[in-house]
Amino acid sequence: MATFSAEVFQNEFLPDGGTDVHAIVTVTCSGAGEAGQSDSGDAGEIVIVDTSGSMGGDKIVAVQQAAAAALDQVLDGVWFAVIAGSHLPRLAFPVSPEPAMVRMDPQVRAEAKAAVGSFWADGGTAMGTWLRLATRVFSSVPNLAQRHAILLTDGINQHETPQELSAAIEEARGKFQCDCRGVGEDWQVAEVRRIATTLLGSVDLIARPEDMAADFEQIMRQAMGRGVAEATLRVWAPQGAEVLFVRQVSPTVEDLTARRHEVNPLTGGYPTGSWGDEARDYHVAVRLPAKSVGQEQLASRVQLAVGDTVAAQGLVKARWSNDDTLTARIDPAVAHYTGQAELAEAIQDGLAAKALGDTDTATAKLGRAVQLAAQTGNEEATSRLRKIVDIDDPETGTVRLRRSVSKLDEMALDTSSTKTTRVRK
Amino acid sequence: MTGTAPDLAAGVTGAEAGMPVAAVALSCPACSAPIGDSDRFCEACGAELTPAVELPPPQTATVTAARACHECGGEVAPDGYCTQCGAGAVSERDHFVEEPAPWVAAVCDRGIRHDRNEDAVALHAGAEPGSHAVLVVCDGVSSSTDSDVASLAAARAARDVLAVSHPQALGTAATRLMATARAMEAAVDAANDAVIRHTTAGPGNPASCTFVAAVIQQSQLVVGWVGDSRAYWLPDAGAGQLLSIDDSFAAEQIAGGMSREEAENGPQAHAITRWLGIDAPDHTPRTASVDLTEPGWVLVCSDGLWNYCSEGDAMSALLHETASRTGSAPLDLADGLVDWANAQGGMDNITAALARVGPPTTAGPANPATTATPAVAATPATAAPDTATAPAPAAYQEEGTPDGNVLS
Repeated sequence: MATFSAEVFQNEFLPDGGTDVHAIVTVTCSGAGEAGQSDSGDAGEIVIVDTSGSMGGDKIVAVQQAAAAALDQVLDGVWFAVIAGSHLPRLAFPVSPEPAMVRMDPQVRAEAKAAVGSFWADGGTAMGTWLRLATRVFSSVPNLAQRHAILLTDGINQHETPQELSAAIEEARGKFQCDCRGVGEDWQVAEVRRIATTLLGSVDLIARPEDMAADFEQIMRQAMGRGVAEATLRVWAPQGAEVLFVRQVSPTVEDLTARRHEVNPLTGGYPTGSWGDEARDYHVAVRLPAKSVGQEQLASRVQLAVGDTVAAQGLVKARWSNDDTLTARIDPAVAHYTGQAELAEAIQDGLAAKALGDTDTATAKLGRAVQLAAQTGNEEATSRLRKIVDIDDPETGTVRLRRSVSKLDEMALDTSSTKTTRVRK
Repeated sequence: MTGTAPDLAAGVTGAEAGMPVAAVALSCPACSAPIGDSDRFCEACGAELTPAVELPPPQTATVTAARACHECGGEVAPDGYCTQCGAGAVSERDHFVEEPAPWVAAVCDRGIRHDRNEDAVALHAGAEPGSHAVLVVCDGVSSSTDSDVASLAAARAARDVLAVSHPQALGTAATRLMATARAMEAAVDAANDAVIRHTTAGPGNPASCTFVAAVIQQSQLVVGWVGDSRAYWLPDAGAGQLLSIDDSFAAEQIAGGMSREEAENGPQAHAITRWLGIDAPDHTPRTASVDLTEPGWVLVCSDGLWNYCSEGDAMSALLHETASRTGSAPLDLADGLVDWANAQGGMDNITAALARVGPPTTAGPANPATTATPAVAATPATAAPDTATAPAPAAYQEEGTPDGNVLS
């Protein structure tokens, strides 16, 4: 039985007239168990791999190996399917005229790996059609409590319009979670990030085809370790208050604010997908009507709900004081993650400006990113930034864009921009 | 704090404070038959009860029922905050009322600035208006440990002594007065013992509190005090009278000739010179008495109220003005005084205990004396009206007795 706990980090003291309360809420899950083992229903997995013409040669072999490695990790009893993606996607396994899934067992696994081994590269790329097919395949099995997919691509979404892709992403929203991977340097991070973000998954770069199998194995193992099929972050704020934003800040930065659905007039629900044994940090900001000095109130209840059951709750408080030593302090966790969120934005904005040839903006944004990475102790970001810019002074963020930059280094910086480091204890 | 919770829950405060509290039902440990909380033997099986019966753990009575938020009326969640507005639930210790009879009532409130309520009040009253009433207020010294627990225990111990003291059978008014004064000393002894009993051993400041009590009996009012909690006699017509003389540095300075305004706003204004507790130099109460020959109000209060309204006349004006808004039921009026003090800033814990002497007044500004009195200024202590023109209250003259007969 999974158990959740919530811990709040904040400075509850507000100055006279102060209105904005910030808190980091760490939600920790333990005893999650394995996917499909919960009472709520079965788990389903779909492996979606790009088999378009550009995947020819060594890449298709690597894809075959990666898909097989993923299948090895799918637990017996879990429903699964494999989709071969092109401009006309097909259900590669199970072999069926209609959308279908099968339960994993050793016999089926062998058959599936054989089917994957016969992949060939052909056709174009239309990822929206892959998502549409996956949605139909998942819905062929009633009572699936947990639906997860891995999507791999190597190129730009050429054979459908951005609008068609957007429509397909929207159609899949809430139907399944999707971790996305791009192999090589010919895909667009922003495009694939749109899929991953909406479908509560991760996005990452696989620089070399031969690394694919290890990556797939790791994603699938992690997915199988998520025994809590679906949980919702609930944020309550008092009457007359405004929730400024709700942001996941660890392990990655995701703005959840727009994903709110109403639980009741004072409580918003934000889907968080499935959970394994892990901790995630959320940054909640609430604006309250100011009260007089000396008064205290609850600013927010931050809860994790599984179904209709609240599994953990953290209380965010506000206390007005005219003691500057209390009110001036910024909580270290809030400061850290505020910096990390700004870091992600600065990197993405900087790279976008660079791609457009706007050298001034790119230099300013990436300089700010260097400064923030140094301040928040994000050494991974610093070393990735170092491949894009020459750093004159990390304290002031004085940088120069490097003349020759590897496309893969830029993509690695982009995909990893949302990954945060935890607060130094 | 924990030590007081079962008392409050089982007593009169919960329901009257608008916070429904589960009744503490006791049962015999031997046969489970219901028993009263003072029974020594079970009515059903005869088992001896006193040593075996245990009160339920402190929290059970206070957290069971859903409570209403004191700010917006919304439901208070089990986490202790309102589900609508987020205001923290007021614990029973932080805000409670007593109303032993319709003519006697008190409100005891944390105020706004303090984290906990170290004021305490305990009342007793006969059903017949004017027959017999005891009003005790103790103000815990906030720099000491457990003062909230000690002050409540002290107020109740003193109330219990004074409630059973009925010297009406004795001869003359003078002997009755002396008997009540002796009862007052016994009450303070009991209160002091209670404070010491609730003093945590070890380092830190020992628990301590002030004491003021008013006893109304046969048209006679006797007040006794230690510290700077106060008793006022506020007749419907005529001047309001401050009966007690603060045991405070400020009062000493006033006695020495300093103006009240200057003294009560000085750096040591709130330093008290006498108190109850294990480190108290002397806890003998000073007492005063008044013959109650006309209708009016007896007010016993802590400095959380009088800090904003010190003089007898100003207090009288405040009372009448408040009555014009709240009506003149003692509980509503006490509540109105506490609300007013909170509106002035609620810098300290606030307690107002009232007894009505004479027939009830009708609500509204019926009293001609009131209408002539200017509105009470919303400013601290000595900015009350008339300080410049009116003579200094006689009660502040060490030897003088015009406001009341100072007995000791």
